[in-house]
Amino acid sequence: MARMKFLCDADRCIECNACVTACKNEHEVPWGINRRRVITINDGKPGERSVSMACMHCTDAPCAAVCPTNCFYTTADAVVLHSKDLCIGCGYCFYACPFGAPQYPRVGNFGSRGKMDKCTFCAGGPEADNTQAEFVKYGTNRLAEGKLPLCAEMCSTKSLLAGDGEIIAQIYKERVVKRGYGSGAWGWRTAYRETIAT
Amino acid sequence: MLIKRTERQARRGVLAQGLPGQSDAGLDRRSFLRRSGLVAGGLAALGSLPLASVRKAEAGPPAKPGAAVTIRKNVCTHCSVGCTVIGKVSQGVWIGQEPGWDSPINRGSHCAKGAAVRELVHGDRRVKYPMKLVNGQWTKISWDTAINEIGDKLNAIRAKSGPESVYWLGSAKFTNESAYLYRKFAAYWGTNNVDHQARICHSTTVAGVANTWGYGAQTNSYNDIRNAKTMIIMGGNPAEAHPVSLQHLLEGKELNRANYIVIEPRLTRTAAHATEYVRIRSGTDIPVIYGILWHIFRNGWEDKQFIEQRVYGMEDVRKEIEKWNPEEVERVSGVPGAQLERVAKMFATEKPATLIWCMGATQHTVGTANVRAFCIALLATGNVGSFGTGANIFRGHCNVQGATDLGLDIVTLPLYYGLVEGAWRHWCRVWEVDYDWMLSRFDSKEAMETAGIPSTRWFDATLLPQKEVRQKDNLKAMMVFGHGGNTVTRMPKAAEGIAALDLLVVADPHPTTWAVLGERKDNTYLLPTCTSFESDGSRTASNRSIQWAEQVVKPIFESKNDNEVMYLLARKLGFADRMFKNIKVNGTEPVAEDILREINRGGWSTGYCGQSPERLKAHMKNQDKFDLVTLRAPKDIPEIGGDYYGLPWPCWGTPELRHPGTHTLYNTSLHVMDGGGTFRARFGVEREEKLADGTVRKVSLLANGSYSLGSEIRDGYPEFTYGVLKKLGWDGELTETERTTIERVGGKNPDGVSWATDLSGGIQRVAMAHGCIHYGNGKARANAWNLPDAIPVHREPIYTPRPELVAKYPTLPNAVQFRVPNVGFDLQKAAVEKGIAKQFPLINTSGRLVEYEGGGEETRSNKWLAELQQDMFIEINPADAAERGIKDGQFVLVTGPEMPAGRACRMKALVTERVGKGVTWCPFHFAGWFMNVDQRSKYPKGADPIVLGESVNIVTGYGYDPVTGMQEPKAMLCQVRAA
Amino acid sequence: MTAFLARIRAAVGVLVLLAAVIAAAPSGAQQKNPDGSVNPTASAVREEQLFKEMDRITGRCTLPDQKACTLEQPAGRDWRYFSQVTLPWIGAIAILGMLAVLVLFYLFRGMVRIEAGRSGRTVVRFNAFERFVHWMTAACFIVLALSGLNITFGKDLLLPLIGPDAFTTWAQWAKYAHNYLSFPFTIGVVLILLMWIGGNIPNRTDVAWVKEGGGIVGHGHPPAKRFNAGQKLIYWIVVIGGAAVAITGYILMFPFWGGTSIVGMQTAAVIHGIVGVLFVAAMLGHIYIGTIGMEGAFEAMGTGTVDENWAKQHHSLWLEEEKAKGKVEAPAGRMQPAE
Repeated sequence: MARMKFLCDADRCIECNACVTACKNEHEVPWGINRRRVITINDGKPGERSVSMACMHCTDAPCAAVCPTNCFYTTADAVVLHSKDLCIGCGYCFYACPFGAPQYPRVGNFGSRGKMDKCTFCAGGPEADNTQAEFVKYGTNRLAEGKLPLCAEMCSTKSLLAGDGEIIAQIYKERVVKRGYGSGAWGWRTAYRETIAT
Repeated sequence: MLIKRTERQARRGVLAQGLPGQSDAGLDRRSFLRRSGLVAGGLAALGSLPLASVRKAEAGPPAKPGAAVTIRKNVCTHCSVGCTVIGKVSQGVWIGQEPGWDSPINRGSHCAKGAAVRELVHGDRRVKYPMKLVNGQWTKISWDTAINEIGDKLNAIRAKSGPESVYWLGSAKFTNESAYLYRKFAAYWGTNNVDHQARICHSTTVAGVANTWGYGAQTNSYNDIRNAKTMIIMGGNPAEAHPVSLQHLLEGKELNRANYIVIEPRLTRTAAHATEYVRIRSGTDIPVIYGILWHIFRNGWEDKQFIEQRVYGMEDVRKEIEKWNPEEVERVSGVPGAQLERVAKMFATEKPATLIWCMGATQHTVGTANVRAFCIALLATGNVGSFGTGANIFRGHCNVQGATDLGLDIVTLPLYYGLVEGAWRHWCRVWEVDYDWMLSRFDSKEAMETAGIPSTRWFDATLLPQKEVRQKDNLKAMMVFGHGGNTVTRMPKAAEGIAALDLLVVADPHPTTWAVLGERKDNTYLLPTCTSFESDGSRTASNRSIQWAEQVVKPIFESKNDNEVMYLLARKLGFADRMFKNIKVNGTEPVAEDILREINRGGWSTGYCGQSPERLKAHMKNQDKFDLVTLRAPKDIPEIGGDYYGLPWPCWGTPELRHPGTHTLYNTSLHVMDGGGTFRARFGVEREEKLADGTVRKVSLLANGSYSLGSEIRDGYPEFTYGVLKKLGWDGELTETERTTIERVGGKNPDGVSWATDLSGGIQRVAMAHGCIHYGNGKARANAWNLPDAIPVHREPIYTPRPELVAKYPTLPNAVQFRVPNVGFDLQKAAVEKGIAKQFPLINTSGRLVEYEGGGEETRSNKWLAELQQDMFIEINPADAAERGIKDGQFVLVTGPEMPAGRACRMKALVTERVGKGVTWCPFHFAGWFMNVDQRSKYPKGADPIVLGESVNIVTGYGYDPVTGMQEPKAMLCQVRAA
Repeated sequence: MTAFLARIRAAVGVLVLLAAVIAAAPSGAQQKNPDGSVNPTASAVREEQLFKEMDRITGRCTLPDQKACTLEQPAGRDWRYFSQVTLPWIGAIAILGMLAVLVLFYLFRGMVRIEAGRSGRTVVRFNAFERFVHWMTAACFIVLALSGLNITFGKDLLLPLIGPDAFTTWAQWAKYAHNYLSFPFTIGVVLILLMWIGGNIPNRTDVAWVKEGGGIVGHGHPPAKRFNAGQKLIYWIVVIGGAAVAITGYILMFPFWGGTSIVGMQTAAVIHGIVGVLFVAAMLGHIYIGTIGMEGAFEAMGTGTVDENWAKQHHSLWLEEEKAKGKVEAPAGRMQPAE
């Protein structure tokens, strides 16, 4: 089975936010919830780089480990998903996540954050694939239709790659060899305990 | 740990049952109405309106089980890249977007805007039905009432002040068909006061480029940039303005290890990826280009053969360049000579090299001269007319190229025929309308042949004393179809102008700034027009490729498409029969395909003649067949074989001739029937030059030993006419029908019928059969003698931060331009004398954000985009911020030299090193706050954009390009203080 | 414990670094062209290098919530270690350890009796308001403790027994209870602080009391005023521990309120967890001594009165004070007019 990963090639990312709105559009994510976001490091200085970040679907995911209700599960494609039926909105995954992925509909409201929401790698949730019930809670399930996450598919410069880790790593390596530079696979060391030698 | 899907389904928890929206029912159009609380409110307002006429399209994937999902292919309505948008539609609802993988332009990609376009047809904040102001209150009216009242008022104004008192402001978001129809409408109404966004975006490009080598458009394409070894992006930030173009730029950069040079006052997201970043002072493009050329000529890096064969007047330019030694360039622009020498070497020797520019170059009092300087740099290095080279001008809106081509312009009829009698007669023939009748629609023949008022000056034409406005009367009415009110400079004046109008009609999916800017109580109408996703039609991308877009969903609410609104108005005004003589009208909706066919029948001058709707639709169907780099389909594919994607104009001859379109203009390495060409012999055959000793010599303007591949004439040659064909003995190859048509067109002088007025296309066909291009084989002009500055000259902005340079580099003298006075010279003088640069010590420049577009109403109303940019801001350097005690993110007050005393704009400070010391930058998409007053309550209820903010153009001031009336928002001054 | 200290050190370190980041954004090593100008491609920031300079990577984003501008905070991993390894261990050792000690103590020492037997005369030890405050706080504490322990131990102990749906329902209610009961609990702690602070200032008597093992270990009867050193210890545990869990709890309950960062919240969660489990352990001891550990002790909070002999045995100095005030009552049976 594939081992799904994201890889953002910062030397291509131009902070166009297509990934962000593609995600909003595909899953009709409400205002205030940002399953994906783009962050610019060294803004305005030479060497500035932008990186698109969402749930990295970590190996041995910290969110899953700390969840008091064990609401997370990892699919056969290594996508880290969770059940909103089991989530109690405690916020523990948010403390543990190295990437700021978990989002809550009501932050700051007496600690009743509501059910946690995060990037699903466009793979929905525990409900039956592509049902209204699944859509309302998690958004569409592209993976079940054989499609990859829309954020990566719509990336303006093909900076954001999604798919089997080995394949996207290979694509990235080839790019780096071809062009002669690469600022690294951002987040990989933290998420997967591995990095792509460049 | 692992929860099995099946296991979970079997034992759903109690909590799960409590969640809303669990039914698997899916949504159809009817249930949106019931679901949406917003519509419930809307319904109450609508009173007894039948449900069927108000259709609320809201999303709700997935589709109902078993319901068919159809795929509709349209084109993004935002920038000019022309990304294919794939809409999944089920039961009349647009339920999702998919990547348009097959498009060679975007290969599935989008930017933030393109990935969020589906929201446009959710339309929460759209204008839902026609409205008018009744004593300051927005009141719902029917379409019939609206058209009748507007028509009566237009006729009243016409009777009193003449047709020139009505301004027809069109849109770069029109389809080609709507743009053409709108221009035609203005002609039938009897005015040349018809314009659109190109005025404020690339009008100077069109003027500068067309005056150099023939056509005013991007010479190559986004895709062709992949061939470049060196690319200079000067005065542009495509990473935010044209994000998908960066795919081609960055991949080209990577594959060729190309030089990627950004010359900009601001370290933009585009500059972040540059191999070389040159920071310049706003408004010093000419010194920088001349600084580069100084090194090129000093080191002999120029392309001598190219200049000799294909360029006129380079020697004259060299004299001007001599003045710009590295010391002077650094003194004026701040760029060190060594860096420019390195850039010069790359640009001239690591070829092919291309020059990419946008509004940083064009939006200046010297906009046309800037563009001319850029063209000269390309000509001097031989970097035009081949792959990987060229003037890659990134246009702005999705169809600003098409709308420009189709004459939404004060200086020309469709397709650059101009306003001369011959042009009118050409189009009258195409329209099959009597020339004298057309003449009778105008105040006079003079008015008919005089350029109109630029959209940048409409309020001056409203407010100035009548005698200063060179037409029968002041402007009394603005008909605004799809144009923001906050993208034009001097907004406080515009607000006065709006208040002074007798009639204001805004036809737009959104109310726009027009609806709230001035103080109006009556005589103001909002007509809901739909977006391009709700109509059929073609649009021309920046690279001249024309893409046919099919309607994704029917117009939502009560909105109608632009063509239908024009038809209804024309019918009310009494010229619908004449105007739609050859265009089929279904009910009240003109058929887009028929309009395009009419364009084909008249579009010979620019090669809009070969792109029939059938051919364009075949291209959209076969997108995957076109090559990513060459944009060409293999010859053996049916319908499209050998074509370039989107039949980029010029696509010569009739559709049946199957010219492939022209991917790269002026490319002599290709046969004309393969999209080759030469520089256009547009400026005559020879020119008399006065020499220093007073004698006169004649210099040829035709190419010298250069010709396109396979040309039977192996040297320069003039434009083709029937007479020229006869001289060459090629006239016998015309068919009988062609000859009859030519003779009908020519009347008494058939020999004078040119390739551009020949309605048969025969002259074009025969010339191309001999490998010749009918527009002639001329030289490009380094010296464009008809322009105010024949050789580009540096001129300081009106409000310059360097008043000491004004004496040496003053702006042009005052003059009457386009019916109104341009008093820039007086203002510049006064600014120097009053010490404006001391009171307003910061340069203010403006630009785009990726999330928003143009005036921004549409995008600021889109919840998926608005969330990402919630505040108007001003970028300020940390040093300037520290001097003023300003912290990142806090509110500041911004003032400009022309703002009313005591007023200021309130916006957030973004303290960043993107801008250098002494420079500030603002996005120009915001509106809805006016000098610290929130105008939200002035919008019709429920149609106010989510995000409002101060407009940067409240701060901007005077300054107009003499050639096109282009405004100057890029080199302004301001002062900032903590709020 | 070393892990905890390491955590604190790390947290402090992160804060210091954060300040440094705010003061000066990461410089990166810029590669320059020969003439000193910068080649932005060659000088791109690299993740590896940024992590050498700091613990987390932050930048600029357009969202109004500036916390979204943190790209990576690998510290979340450490927090995970704390919550999944360190805290359960501390909790298990403290709570099970305390239980074990109490069981052993009970086996060896048994219930501490009123040596002189009941006198039948009673002294008012806690008035109704005091008892109300105590029991309000105690009841809240029990719910808070159980719902709190559920967060750390529930998924290993309870979830396998009742299944995910039932567990989530329970955990959800437990969370609500934990959040809402925090308010009366906090009020209780504040009232306890104010009500009893007078008797809980440590003094010389406490030294003697401790030296004699409080009369629990051994059979001495060290004198004590209203509160002996052991009770003072409980008092201060309640006041300080209560304040600690309350403050950290509210930080967690109102995320990012008042400028707390994610680091602040992680630190708060660490303190809350550790103090919480130690608090539970301490309260087990308190409950023991107030119930089966000592005859006559429960009445103090039950009816509010204690037997005079009990008071004499445990709070001799206090009894004398009370007697001096004439507050000792005769047994009900002999409550007859003296004259």
